[in-house]
Amino acid sequence: MSEQGTTERPVLEVEGLVKHFPIHGGLLQRRTGEVKAVDGVSFSIARGETLGLVGESGCGKSTIGKTVLKLIEPTSGRIVLAGQDISSLAPGAMWEHRRRIQTIFQDPYSSMNPRLASGTIVGEPLENFGLSRGRETVDRVARLFERVGLRPDAMRKYAHEFSGGQRQRLGIAKALSVNPDVIVADEPVSALDVSVQAQVLNLLIDLQEEFRLAYLFISHDLAVMRHISHRIAVMYLGRIVELTTKRRLFTQPLHPYTEALLSAATAPDPRRRQQRKRIVQGDVPSPAKPPPGCHFHTRCPYATAECKVTAPPLIEVAEGHQVACLRRPVGGDPGPLSVA
Amino acid sequence: MNAAAGRILEVRDLQTQFNTLDGVVRAVDGVSFDLARGETLGIVGESGCGKSVTALSILRLIPPETGRIAAGSIKFEGEELTTLGEEAMKRLRGHRISMIFQEPMTSLNPVLTVGTQIAENVVRHMGVPWRAARERACEMLDLVRIADARRRLDEYPHQLSGGMRQRVMIAMALSCDPQVLIADEPTTALDVTIQAQILQLMLELKEKTGTAIVLITHDLGVVAETTERVVVMYAGRKVEEAPVAALFEQPLHPYTRGLMRAIPRLDIEADAAGTRPRLQEIPGLVPRLTQPIVGCAFAPRCGFATERCRIQAPPLVDAGGGHTVACWEVDRVRASAP
Amino acid sequence: MTAITDDLVLPPRRFSLATAIRRNPTITFGAVLLAALIVVAIFAPYIAYSDPFKIAPVNRLRPPSERWWFGTDQFGRDVFSRTVYGARVSLIVGLSVALFSSAVGLGLGLLCGYFRKVDSIVMRVMDGLMAIPSILLAIALITLTRPGLGIVILAIVIPEVPRIVRVVRAVVLSIRSQPYIESAIAGGTKNTKLLLRHVLPNTLAPLIVQSTYVCASAMLIEASLSFLGAGVPPEVPSWGNIIAQGRTFFQIAPWTILIPGSFLAITVLAVNLLGDGLRDRLDPRLARRL
Repeated sequence: MSEQGTTERPVLEVEGLVKHFPIHGGLLQRRTGEVKAVDGVSFSIARGETLGLVGESGCGKSTIGKTVLKLIEPTSGRIVLAGQDISSLAPGAMWEHRRRIQTIFQDPYSSMNPRLASGTIVGEPLENFGLSRGRETVDRVARLFERVGLRPDAMRKYAHEFSGGQRQRLGIAKALSVNPDVIVADEPVSALDVSVQAQVLNLLIDLQEEFRLAYLFISHDLAVMRHISHRIAVMYLGRIVELTTKRRLFTQPLHPYTEALLSAATAPDPRRRQQRKRIVQGDVPSPAKPPPGCHFHTRCPYATAECKVTAPPLIEVAEGHQVACLRRPVGGDPGPLSVA
Repeated sequence: MNAAAGRILEVRDLQTQFNTLDGVVRAVDGVSFDLARGETLGIVGESGCGKSVTALSILRLIPPETGRIAAGSIKFEGEELTTLGEEAMKRLRGHRISMIFQEPMTSLNPVLTVGTQIAENVVRHMGVPWRAARERACEMLDLVRIADARRRLDEYPHQLSGGMRQRVMIAMALSCDPQVLIADEPTTALDVTIQAQILQLMLELKEKTGTAIVLITHDLGVVAETTERVVVMYAGRKVEEAPVAALFEQPLHPYTRGLMRAIPRLDIEADAAGTRPRLQEIPGLVPRLTQPIVGCAFAPRCGFATERCRIQAPPLVDAGGGHTVACWEVDRVRASAP
Repeated sequence: MTAITDDLVLPPRRFSLATAIRRNPTITFGAVLLAALIVVAIFAPYIAYSDPFKIAPVNRLRPPSERWWFGTDQFGRDVFSRTVYGARVSLIVGLSVALFSSAVGLGLGLLCGYFRKVDSIVMRVMDGLMAIPSILLAIALITLTRPGLGIVILAIVIPEVPRIVRVVRAVVLSIRSQPYIESAIAGGTKNTKLLLRHVLPNTLAPLIVQSTYVCASAMLIEASLSFLGAGVPPEVPSWGNIIAQGRTFFQIAPWTILIPGSFLAITVLAVNLLGDGLRDRLDPRLARRL
């Protein structure tokens, strides 16, 4: 479901994605349990659209990013990239599809090989896929540098000679080099200063409009999410709890966890402190031992007895608005919930 | 203006420098501010602006092999700290001035229980027997709202979540009833909902104990919701200081304005139609601190900069209502569109 | 349109030999000493003033004097000349062992660190090898074949390889989870290129440091082997041989042991200093503080 209103097939479709990590223990290192990092997640992204994946630590958003990129193998589920099912492709077979989906990482300091020149790093995908070689690669890299706002003669410099924001631009240039359909951006601005963050976000938006890129934008920062996404999925302990357009998420949040995130977020407005904010208590449970039923029931002010037992499915309760909450039925009242 | 008796901390023209392979870095380049009893002061700025170094300088925690306080004075309750002997400083740290850091995992000793670490601090500074110290530790864990405090005393840091560890840090910092608590990015490494809990806790504790807090952060949202007065730093210098409401209502320094415009907003109804406005960028980069900066540090990136700005560093001037700003063109800034 | 951002952050630092020497005294000292010894070894025929093999019983057990700088042994052979030639053996053994074990260790370490299946098999073999004392292994090998320089080198390489494999493997394991490796994979880099271009260069620094220790260790082992009679043939001057033969007459002619022994000690010291200095310099976290 995209906001563009086209009937074109989404460029990335994920259905029932599951990723479990085994836990080994004991003398013989046997499998004693598993971390259900991603517990049945489905979404799709259209060309030119940004889907924001927001949540706190342990929610599985980074794992989804890596699984969609096939850097981690999914335990089960379907991943369809530009019409091709890549879910069970072995690394060798996956290689040719990597052209279509690229990534930008969070930490500008460890996502570049410290021993290679920046031009080499940015041009590597071009050479890998045989899209150019030698002189032509150098030219293309120069143009990529310019496109992201860096001087082309900086190609010979090494990663440590750039600032954090510049390194993220290098990462973007590299991702862009092979003209992908989808870019998975995992917290790309979280490690940057505010003033630099703005530069990088603006650049990402410009590029998306120019090249009709689809972004899977992963972040914990709701304000950034609001700025760059078209649609947003809120995650908690491996499940999507709410998925809708940006506007509806912020004007009419339905899931109690979304409400908690919104009230906890700080904003540069001193008057907000007057409002008696309802701050949700308790810690995020460990993904190795998630609470039964609805994962959020231990911290939810509206939880009922049934919430402790039954895991709510993600259903579309209004047009373009999916929620996983037993107290939000289809066509129900979107107003505030009452304490049970 | 506060009477001298109400000022618990007075920093004047502090200059802290580091020796690096690339030359002398002037991390703090002439910073002055006061802290009143029971007040919450925010020091805000981006990475490299010198805010953390300022905090470390107050407690004389700058590693002597690489850095030193080159000039300036720091007075705590009238006593000069820069010339105080190391033994006296040690008595002060953790007792009358406490500090908490960003990463609770590396600030807590992993091989000692939480109770031991707090009790140790109490024994050291208050000289009470071990039992009494443990009782105090238990009280402190209760104070920071850790459930089942008595049992938790015997747990190790790795058994606690990030939010809990930060609460333990706060408990330790407050265990000897300090007059000043310096918090260096205390919630940056925490999840949003946990951050909200910790900030709420800090405000409650402040009401209860009357401790003055110096809160150092890069997050303007945290500053807005938690502090009473704000100091904005850039490239080792103070560029603006104001009561929090005044700062956000009318920021006077171009850098402060730039920062506020560059932040994506949650609260403003900016995109009713779902369009995505551009964030206002601040062009350029933070200057390198290895060369002495001539003129205003922000001039190369400032839209209001004139020739005078480039050659002469602007002094801090009073703009009324406790609001000071270091800018030659403040009238033009004030008159321009917000 | 995105504005072109400003200049790069750090200007490149100009390299000055004088500053480099001043900042790294350990490396300089070790390197200079080692270089001097290498020069002595290469130019041995010109430095030694007499034939190290020449026997002249009439001059047996003479103390150091103007004619025989380091005295003579029980066969009347000039200790100075023999010591100088002995440098050749020690350095050849030390450097060869370091080189071969590094080459083999690097290859195995890369494969073990990167491919889990290879790791489980190969590391068990390595553990087994490390359990065997190298001297016993050397003696066993030499007994099975003919003694000679090549066999000695091989006998010392085999137990030293596991040490290098461990170091390289540790580096590979730590790098493997770095974001830039994942970034390279996502960018379509295949395994071979990944190992050679992204992983290998990061292993070189610790590898070089470890190989200096292997060199020092090899020289000592060779000396021990020769001392036990299981090393190079007794006529060939090796510091170990010289010491072995001087053992019987230690009381009356201590120079036959002390002098080659000192040379051995100094050489090992030079190599260890070089290794320590390099380790401090090349460790990225320590280097920045220097």
